[in-house]
Amino acid sequence: MSVIGTQAAAPPLASPRASRWATQRHRQLLLVACFLLPSLVVFVLYRIVPLGWNVVLSFEAWSPLKPARWIGLANYAEMWSYDDVFWTALTNTLIFIAASPIAIAAALGIALLVNSDLKGASVYRTIVFLSYPLMAVAVGIIWRWMYDERGGIINYALRSTGLVDRPIGFLQDFDWALPSVIFAEIWQVVGFYMIILLTGLQSIPQNLYEAARIDGAPAWARFFRITLPMLRPSLFLCIVVGILNSFSSFDLVYIMTNGGPGHATELLITHIYKSAFVQTRFDYAAALTVVQFALLLVLTIAANRAAGGNAGAVERD
Amino acid sequence: MARRARPLLALRHLTLVVIAFVMLVPFYWVVKTAITNENIYEYPPSLLPKQPHLFNFVDVWYLIPFPRYLLNSIVVSAIAVIGNVVFNAMAGYALTRKFPGRRAVLALFLSCMLIPFQATIIPAYLVTARMGLLNTYFGLAFPMLSTIVCIFVFKAAFEAVPKSLIDAARIDGLGEWRIIARVLLPLSKPAIATNVILSFIWSWNNFLWPLLITRDPQMQTLPLGLARFLSYMEDTTGALYAFAVMVLIPSVFVFLMAQKEFVRGLTSGATKG
Repeated sequence: MSVIGTQAAAPPLASPRASRWATQRHRQLLLVACFLLPSLVVFVLYRIVPLGWNVVLSFEAWSPLKPARWIGLANYAEMWSYDDVFWTALTNTLIFIAASPIAIAAALGIALLVNSDLKGASVYRTIVFLSYPLMAVAVGIIWRWMYDERGGIINYALRSTGLVDRPIGFLQDFDWALPSVIFAEIWQVVGFYMIILLTGLQSIPQNLYEAARIDGAPAWARFFRITLPMLRPSLFLCIVVGILNSFSSFDLVYIMTNGGPGHATELLITHIYKSAFVQTRFDYAAALTVVQFALLLVLTIAANRAAGGNAGAVERD
Repeated sequence: MARRARPLLALRHLTLVVIAFVMLVPFYWVVKTAITNENIYEYPPSLLPKQPHLFNFVDVWYLIPFPRYLLNSIVVSAIAVIGNVVFNAMAGYALTRKFPGRRAVLALFLSCMLIPFQATIIPAYLVTARMGLLNTYFGLAFPMLSTIVCIFVFKAAFEAVPKSLIDAARIDGLGEWRIIARVLLPLSKPAIATNVILSFIWSWNNFLWPLLITRDPQMQTLPLGLARFLSYMEDTTGALYAFAVMVLIPSVFVFLMAQKEFVRGLTSGATKG
């Protein structure tokens, strides 16, 4: 809006030609502003304002029926000293993020296997990618059923091959629950990592490999000296996606275990949801959100450093 | 060289077949359960469906208000898709122009990209409540009306249109709107397709936002219906799996029909940050 304001304040131009140019310019700016407006409204209302409001809320004692009162760091102090679930959820979230490199490594393996003139490569690619665009709620239901003690095919396979005597209650067992949920999450997202890495692989100039081959570099050296360094931006992106998934896996966790058994699969995002929308403690949940968002930023910046510092660079003009 | 490569090639195929098997088993298992009439807790479970039938799919329509959920999901997705195509195209076009504050707008968009929606749920809920949009279609679709990744898809498509073509149209006396409608949009069909597909899949699958703002069962969408069904019935009936299969069909179908556009959208987001 300020764009138009500054233009209108410009002194009137003398010559008729210049003034025609000015009105035309004026109209164009108006057009640009009008075109940007709807998207800006959406992002301001649902990204910028919430981010600020969330921070303010985290320093207040507030509930929908009471006026807000500034309480400084009390919400954070409570989290630090009294909320055991917070620490469990934080640990689980970090484990969840730490597991993403496994998925990325698997995706890199698959990407290398399907990247070439392999017959049927596109079929394999489609199959691996197929689980990504699916509704996470339905995926959660499918995996609950896969892990089921009686009807699940995993227990059936383990029992009929004699690996275990009695069925494992994957989602009811305190030790198995988190790895089981993480495996389901990897199953859904591995195709996305593969696509990102494939795009990265295809942008590596082939003559690098030819030159290395002429120099007699063996396959492993070509992989570690050319492929991996050239893939850095793609790998960085995968890691960021992995970090973000600790947020967006809410659906899957909610359906598969709802944080249980006990709090064995509680993530920060499920803890935030329960605090805000089950216990109606919006203020405290806002503080939890600030912590998770800070964690996300720190990890992303660290990953960016590790990737060489400019991986986040986007279009410059 | 070729002789040495043959067993290696077989090994590659073998590995990929095993991976494909792992990826496909869950699909098979849920479809098998959905079309089987037997007691689903029977042990050992049969690997093939005995007497396959579709009763479970019919059951879904009677056990829960399936048509209502379906209608809600379709309406919300339609609003989100239309919003995305129109608003993203507008914003994408605006970003191809030079104007004061362009850098600031770009910086704003890119920083919004770093804010996951889940990190804003509490104030987003409060904002929506203040606007009186809880339990409404518009409230459900509002946060999804425009997507940054898709704005950049449009921007890239518009920038790829040759400048000379636009200049020629301008010399012919076409106004700004006509240039967009007659020249730019027809040349950006892949970008439109990408927008439609991504926004449809995102909105169709969305669970957290409807969970927060729709308490009224009449306004709930399919994912919520599925979650409710699960909490009423536990995993005890084949109808649950029939329901799951039904909600998956549209996204699988859209994905298989337009895989190329889908991938292009995601990877353009990838390269553009």
